Amino acid sequence: MSALLQGSSAEAQVVTVEAADRPLREVNREIREAVAAGHRVEVVEPLSRHNLAVGLTGEGHVTFRGSVGYYCGGLSAGGAIEVDGNSGWGTGEGLSAGHITVNGNAGMSVGAAMRGGTIHVRGNAGPRCGVAQKAGDIVVEGDIGYSTGFMSHGGRIVCLGNSRGSVGDSLWEGVVWVGGEIERLGIDAVVVTPEAEEVAEVDELLASVGVDGSGLDWKKVVAGQKLWYFEARDAKQWLMI
Amino acid sequence: MTGAPSGRTSWSWRPRCGTAAQTRPASPCTAPPRERGYVVRGYLADRDALDGTLQQVTDLVRAQGSDLTGEPSWDESGQPHVLFRMEVDELPGLKGWVDGVEALPGTEILSVGRSLEIIKDVGDAREVDAKHGVSRLQGTHALSNMRLATESLVSPIASHPFWARPFPDVCIVHNGQLTNYFTWRRHLEREGYRFMSENDSELIAVWNSVQMEAGASLGESLSASQEQLDGVFTYLLGTLDGIGMAKDRWAIKPLAVVDEPDGIAIATEEQALRSLYRDEVSIINYDGPLMTEIWRRDAQREGAAA
Repeated sequence: MSALLQGSSAEAQVVTVEAADRPLREVNREIREAVAAGHRVEVVEPLSRHNLAVGLTGEGHVTFRGSVGYYCGGLSAGGAIEVDGNSGWGTGEGLSAGHITVNGNAGMSVGAAMRGGTIHVRGNAGPRCGVAQKAGDIVVEGDIGYSTGFMSHGGRIVCLGNSRGSVGDSLWEGVVWVGGEIERLGIDAVVVTPEAEEVAEVDELLASVGVDGSGLDWKKVVAGQKLWYFEARDAKQWLMI
Repeated sequence: MTGAPSGRTSWSWRPRCGTAAQTRPASPCTAPPRERGYVVRGYLADRDALDGTLQQVTDLVRAQGSDLTGEPSWDESGQPHVLFRMEVDELPGLKGWVDGVEALPGTEILSVGRSLEIIKDVGDAREVDAKHGVSRLQGTHALSNMRLATESLVSPIASHPFWARPFPDVCIVHNGQLTNYFTWRRHLEREGYRFMSENDSELIAVWNSVQMEAGASLGESLSASQEQLDGVFTYLLGTLDGIGMAKDRWAIKPLAVVDEPDGIAIATEEQALRSLYRDEVSIINYDGPLMTEIWRRDAQREGAAA
């Protein structure tokens, strides 16, 4: 089975795509074309395969009926993706625009090096969430893994749950918001008191994905900036182990 | 030298004998671990030398005051190299016997164990299964690996799983790369251990076996390896009693596990597990630093995430 068009109207069509064991290029071409044309796509039997729905453009919407593998939605510049299951490593890696929702848990490096758009994980996110993030937003309703925000250059990572160790390690201008407990801060990461308007902006982001973050005791993690310029007297800061 | 940065590692437990009707030669369904004697799997580079080599191997067995306990068998693929299988009685000087056999031209022992049998060849899983009847093997636990050769030879003998020469029933599959490989290799070689490959994964198997021979439990050995072995690794160590897992402090190499009433399946990537479980199933990701786990043959689980 390949792409199956339902409905007669040229607009708002629902396209069903089976992933299963079919060649990934075919699957992705069908998804990409439908999303670019603004359709709704349902992908059945994704079977945790890698690289699904990469490089999307346009205003369409994809729903995966099951878990996806690595790099789902990566390098996309548009489209909306919903994963009705879990996602593997590098979900939305290099995303520049668009929206990804993972209804389950996400693996390591969600939104790695992303440059824009929004990634919303309803469960937990694995280690190195938002590693080398440049811009855009990541919202995690559950917990975030260790080394979240590692070397993040910009953008926001907002976690309603708890953070594992080494959060915000070696940050540049990225910011990690943690609503729960922080197990341990990373090298050169500091917690600062957020401004009221910054909290309002976070609330606005959360509201935009239908999440209520009110009443949380936000910890805003930013760079202490000691690693930004190497000086011999700070050498101990660089010893990571 | 590496164990395949993009290699795939998996282990699955199947409660039944393989049913696939594969071609000859029959790899017999193995019974529970032998009370005495060993099953030996070997590799010979030159098929034309098979008869002579098997005779020499048999002579070396008899020189130990032991003997074969069954007819040797081998693959009849006609390829230049050949894999053979023998069953032998007790080998009092096992290490010396292994050294003797591997001194024969083009000969390497792939495994020795009460129950361990290592089968490895070039080709994808279906080809290797068709050639060696892997799916006909019966047992409680198994390791498999599809290797992308990066820093050592493309050859059956450079492939995973590696046997922990000369320790019976210990083997390994490993995803990652050790950075203090040569240091440890020199150290172990000074103690008399030999390595048949330039592959760092082989070293991890021997390293753990040495710890355990010195009295460490499997769990203690796994934890010690996280301190002593430097680099990136997630490895599965197969022993007679089950499988141990350890991963390094950076935990960059993944491991996904399904633990269901019908068995346990472990793989590097979740998509491999989907070949067994196409419907939704709970996937456990071991993605934290310094994790260890032990899956025991008798299903008594102990594990620790440090």
